[in-house]
Amino acid sequence: MSMTTMHERDMQQLTAKQRVVKFIVKFFVYAFLIITALTVLFPFYWMIISSLKSLEEYRLSVPTFWPHKVLLSNYVEAFTAANLGRLFMNTLYVGVVSTILSLIITVLTAFAFARLEFKGKETLFALLLATMMIPGELFTITNYSTVTQLGWIGSFKVLIIPFLVSVFYIYLLRQNFLQIPNELYLAAKVDGTSDLKYLWKVMVPLSMPTLISITILKMMGSWNSYIWPRLVANDEAHRMITNGLRNAFRDTAGDINYPVQMAAVAIVSAPLFLVFIFLRKYIMSGVSRSGIKG
Amino acid sequence: MVESKHQWKAWIYLAPAIALLLVFTIWPIFNTVRMALLENYSGLKAAGGATFAFGFGNFTKVIHYQKFITCMKNTVLLCIWTVPISTFLALLIAVALNSIKPLQKVLQTIFFLPYVTNSIAIGMVFAAMFNMVGSFYGTENELIVTAGIINNLIELFGGQAVNWINYGSSYMANMTVMIVYIVWNALPFKILILLGGLQSINKQYYDAARVDGTSRRRIFTHITVPLLSPMLAYVIITGFIGGFKEYTSIVGIFGETMGPADDAGRLNTMVGFIYDALSTNSQGRASAAALILFAIILVVTLINLQVSKKRVHY
Amino acid sequence: MKKIVSIMLLLAMLVSLVACGSSGTTTTDPSSNSSTGESTPAANGAKANFDVPEGGYDGSEVTIRFYHTMGNNLVPVLNTYIEEFNKLYPNIHIEHSSVGAYDDVRDQISTEITVGNQPNIAYCYPDHVALYNLAKSVVSLDNLIDSDITVERADGTTEILGLTDEQKADFISGYYEEGREYGDGLMYTMPLSKSTEVLYYNKTFFEENGLTVPTTWDEMEALCAKIKEIDPESIPLGYDSEPNWFITMCEQLDTDYTSASDDHYIFNNDQNKEFVKKFRDWYQKGYLTTQTLYGSYTSGLFTSDSGVKSYMSIGSSAGAVHQRPKATAEGTYPFEVGVATIPQANPQNPKVISQGPSICVFQKQDPQEIIASWLFVKFLTTNVDFQAEFSMASGYVPVIKSVGKNPVYADFLSKADGGDYISALSAQVCLDQEAAYYTSPAFNGSSTARSQVGALLAQCLAADDGGNTDAMIDKAFQNAIDECEYAG
Repeated sequence: MSMTTMHERDMQQLTAKQRVVKFIVKFFVYAFLIITALTVLFPFYWMIISSLKSLEEYRLSVPTFWPHKVLLSNYVEAFTAANLGRLFMNTLYVGVVSTILSLIITVLTAFAFARLEFKGKETLFALLLATMMIPGELFTITNYSTVTQLGWIGSFKVLIIPFLVSVFYIYLLRQNFLQIPNELYLAAKVDGTSDLKYLWKVMVPLSMPTLISITILKMMGSWNSYIWPRLVANDEAHRMITNGLRNAFRDTAGDINYPVQMAAVAIVSAPLFLVFIFLRKYIMSGVSRSGIKG
Repeated sequence: MVESKHQWKAWIYLAPAIALLLVFTIWPIFNTVRMALLENYSGLKAAGGATFAFGFGNFTKVIHYQKFITCMKNTVLLCIWTVPISTFLALLIAVALNSIKPLQKVLQTIFFLPYVTNSIAIGMVFAAMFNMVGSFYGTENELIVTAGIINNLIELFGGQAVNWINYGSSYMANMTVMIVYIVWNALPFKILILLGGLQSINKQYYDAARVDGTSRRRIFTHITVPLLSPMLAYVIITGFIGGFKEYTSIVGIFGETMGPADDAGRLNTMVGFIYDALSTNSQGRASAAALILFAIILVVTLINLQVSKKRVHY
Repeated sequence: MKKIVSIMLLLAMLVSLVACGSSGTTTTDPSSNSSTGESTPAANGAKANFDVPEGGYDGSEVTIRFYHTMGNNLVPVLNTYIEEFNKLYPNIHIEHSSVGAYDDVRDQISTEITVGNQPNIAYCYPDHVALYNLAKSVVSLDNLIDSDITVERADGTTEILGLTDEQKADFISGYYEEGREYGDGLMYTMPLSKSTEVLYYNKTFFEENGLTVPTTWDEMEALCAKIKEIDPESIPLGYDSEPNWFITMCEQLDTDYTSASDDHYIFNNDQNKEFVKKFRDWYQKGYLTTQTLYGSYTSGLFTSDSGVKSYMSIGSSAGAVHQRPKATAEGTYPFEVGVATIPQANPQNPKVISQGPSICVFQKQDPQEIIASWLFVKFLTTNVDFQAEFSMASGYVPVIKSVGKNPVYADFLSKADGGDYISALSAQVCLDQEAAYYTSPAFNGSSTARSQVGALLAQCLAADDGGNTDAMIDKAFQNAIDECEYAG
């Protein structure tokens, strides 16, 4: 049933009073959304104006909301100061490879927890959740010693493999899988469809919005990861973008030239932003593409 | 359901995740327990050839720390306030976003923007919003250079400026700022997840409800929330886990002093505790604190899971 | 509930496993040097932990990893001088990387040490070295400094491995002695470039009102009172850093702060409370503020052209350009900045803090790596041209006196003024007060003491005392001590 026919029928049934109520409700919905959107937008705005300020202006006691003098030279400096091209390619490579591998592992694991039966399933899942509860910083030293012993230091492996499994994502996807009616699975079993084929043909398409959310989060993770890459891949060939950016705009006193740093951040955020605009369409169409009604 | 002889199949699906977890998560946890039980363990001292006696000294030292209760109180308070508020707000925004047509694309894009906003920028903007610049508050020499954006707004509407985070500020004011900041930080992620969940709900449920003339409120409480309950459970449980690990947001507002200038450490949290220990390379004590924190989160999560088992509709 | 029980069981199992495992744990020392023999730091008169092998540097191919915090303005200078160094020692390859801020360098290295993967040399602050010393990973330089082995260089010339007497005497002694502040009399670091605190003042305002620059704290008090009369809407003095202020006062008054020996935290005494109380009084009269109390850069207050202003600012000598007001469209400055030594308790025996990076050398299996590292460290710290160029690029001051004779640097200093060449002016003041530099004892926990006394001073200046100042100050001191003891 299409939305337009629904809509038309609604309109016919509306009385004048209902129309007023509907208008008021819409007004408040928009007002609410626009106000919250502005609040959410504010740091982004701050990032952009900071990137256009001079260092002197940035250090003023009373912050300015619009730069007295718009300095595009910060962008030029940011672009030339860090080896952005190389940093970008490294990050893209690590981001794409680890996102794909991570998605595969997450899908398989979430499927096992959502649909397959095995002994100790509940306990294992609770244990998995429990691992999220220890602050990750404590793992750093042990993991560092592990990857050193494995001889992975100074390779992309060390940036990709240790963080492929995320309990957060497994949990998220499991919640989504559990919502898909079990009847579909049993029907597929009767038809002799293999688990893997069912997973690929039915579960994955039905969970597209969640999978895309996970993709976004994982990509962002690669983009923002800082502490671990700094420790294990601090060479030119493997350095990641955040590490490159944080170090590029610092004087000896350890003071950061924030305006230039913000300009650099804005430059590297741009491609991500475009990716988001592109992916948003897929989130929206996730359901209709699935072709399943029920 | 699969018969028990097919159990091995499940384990094949689980194998890659379990193998990686064993190496990069379980083993470090095991090592954490080991370090917590070695008196005054320090990784650097160990590298220097020192050996450590077995014992519970790290735990007793952490528990007897004068500010232990403060840290616990702050952590728990922040959790109790921020998780419900941010979840509720995110739900409202997600539902509202899902219900509109014009501007929907633009607004959705805006709610994604925080993901491409650098965390340093977010810290900076909050400092600028709540920070009062000046000196000698409460004395006859009081000088205020700027009261901050939030206070400017309050004064615009005829209110009284509040000392939010600077010295002389009250614990209540400090906590308010932290709650606003943390909720704000948590919103985009929750909106993303809940919106993803909403998009998965079949439109036919709504169509049917509308044909029946069901009110908006009833649609919300009887269709949206139950169908969204798995995602809500997820957001709440992970919210609590994240909330108990709150630390960087406080550094973002108050700096390393973890409190206003006249009362350093007032807002310190459990994880702040752990960081302090790590910075002097006292991994033994850091591990002990982490295990105490772990025990607390574990209990809370198990309660959460029990509740969600009864309430969540799959 | 079954889950809770099973998880508890599992935890119990883990604990018991660990209990069994730990008793037999013997940790190997990946970083110890085979040729060193045992050494016991912390005891006075300890033996140096590195013996120079006979023959010194044998010309073998080595790669030296160097961690620093240099920004883009300094890396080219370093690269130039690495080239110069390689003309002398083509087989010593320097791989350097900017790790981040000082704390990042510390965290990175303390993790790397645990698997024996530390770099060869690194930027360091004293408390970092104290931390690395827990693992005995820092090479004590004494035997290298004293070595008179002759080393052949690629250009046909030779040098002795150690430092000559002239080279030792050329170092500004306060900077050089920082390397020995570890309680065992051994030398662990070499100074690379340094900064200190200086007093910036609004020279134009001072001249207009016939004010003189204060040399003592008593003069400062009188001056602040006078400025308050001239401009009641001002905060006469801004002090950037509370920890520096507290520690410097201890040094100037010769009172106890910390000690590198067993009882580390000894700053809880009446003399210290007395000066804290005095400054509280100043603060209450509106004479001064600090960065944390003010809520923004105090340099912003100093350079402000409207509203609330300050007329003096005590801050890092390396940050001179931040203390200069914004130039007008014609390129002139609204007021001229003067730079002077900070006020003293006793002007006959002045004390100013020494800050800025030193360099330390790490233990490695191959003694040739250590010797090569030392040769490079020696090159950077004693090369006049490098020191001159690095100082001009960074705003820091050189650590050797002979840099003053370098023509480029001498020219730079001669241009010193309170406007375009304010860096030169502040460098000049730093060089003139060369006898006044002090450093504090370094031990694991010295950085905790530093941040605690900073917080303590900020609190005591501004906190509500409920009518009983002494009680409030007593309590604040005791709290700070408790925090230090807990951490240490």
